[in-house]
Amino acid sequence: MRSLLDFIVRHSYVFLFVLLETLSLILLFGFNDRQKEAYLTSANSLSGTLYEWRTGVEQYFGLRKENATLVRENARLRSLLYDLSDSLDSATERSMSSDGVVVARVIDNSVRKDDNYITIDKGRNHGIAQGMGVYSSDGVVGIVMAAGRKYSVILPVLNGSTSISCKVKGSDSFGFLEWNGGDPYMAQIKDMPYHSSVDIGDTIVTTGFTSVFPENIPVGTVAKVEHMKNGYTLRVNVNLAVDMSDLRWVYIHSRTRDAEIDELFKQVKD
Amino acid sequence: MGTVSFIRRLMTLVLLAALQIFFFNRIALFGYATPLFYIWMIARFDSSMSRSGILLWAFFLGLVIDVFSGTPGLNSASATLLAMFQPGLVKLFVSMDRHDVLVPGSDSMGGRPFAGYLLLMATIHHTVYFILRSIPLGDWTVLVLKVVFSVVMTFILMTVAEHSFSNTGSKRS
Repeated sequence: MRSLLDFIVRHSYVFLFVLLETLSLILLFGFNDRQKEAYLTSANSLSGTLYEWRTGVEQYFGLRKENATLVRENARLRSLLYDLSDSLDSATERSMSSDGVVVARVIDNSVRKDDNYITIDKGRNHGIAQGMGVYSSDGVVGIVMAAGRKYSVILPVLNGSTSISCKVKGSDSFGFLEWNGGDPYMAQIKDMPYHSSVDIGDTIVTTGFTSVFPENIPVGTVAKVEHMKNGYTLRVNVNLAVDMSDLRWVYIHSRTRDAEIDELFKQVKD
Repeated sequence: MGTVSFIRRLMTLVLLAALQIFFFNRIALFGYATPLFYIWMIARFDSSMSRSGILLWAFFLGLVIDVFSGTPGLNSASATLLAMFQPGLVKLFVSMDRHDVLVPGSDSMGGRPFAGYLLLMATIHHTVYFILRSIPLGDWTVLVLKVVFSVVMTFILMTVAEHSFSNTGSKRS
């Protein structure tokens, strides 16, 4: 105890030093605007950092509760989303429908097989019949192969059996678009007349010769032109306008085949 | 401490404070160098003084300058800090283990050690002083320049003072 007191007395100047320095610094930061401002700013940023840490820790402990709240919120939003998407579907349908055109939703689709098919949610009940042309906002999709009461199956361009009459836009050179497997973004026009003016990049559209499609529905663009050895025809590779792997909505060209044309064909055949 | 030496110290304090307030504070050579010559008083505190005494004198010296320069706390803080180190710094430059009263000076310590002592004193004090003055610290280059230039100025002034005054007291044959 004695030695402690001794120590304190002998080193009393240290306490004096601390006292005087503290006094000076109080004066310095209390009465000089620049230093005061700096002190307040750093004090604020210090307390700000501390608050942030505290909040971080608190948040960590509240995570379980937060999680539960979020899951409930998620469920509520999802149910809202489904409701909305249903009403959106019906609204889209209404807005897109017009005379002679039926809007349908793609409910099944494939692009990687040799022969692909698309199923849509509209059938005979909606005025769909075999042989009608199907297209999307981008271009030609295919032809209705079979129509059930509520559903139909479409023969898309990506099917070996499909053949669609098309031409080079702005010219009369025409041929039939076919697909022989492989690349789902590429199809061929095989029997284009030899001297047709076809260049890479030209747009291919429907001819409208048959009543399957209206005229000038985009089919794709010319990627490659080959002169066949037979000397009569060209083979044109076409980059398809429609990405078949990403189809949601399609239009069905439901204008019924003109009865008179059918009648005439019948007469000729007979 | 006798009354005479107290009055002498007080007069020294007033004189050095007045010099600093009315003359040296207005100097800013090259835009950077402001001599803080008043630390001369702290540099000359002899070894017979108590450490508390040194601290108090230094504090009040700084405080007087602060009050009249409108910089409360600035000079008192740096001067007090310097006073805390002063006895140790003297020992650093005195080679022998002396027990008699030592007044720091070129005659008692030797020219070179005393010069080193003054330089170190000035550097410590000015560094603290300019750091405190520049808060919030922004431009370190300017800060360093201020310290260096001012240390040089103060050092020159103290050397001049050493040769003008102190030697007159201790006439060496």
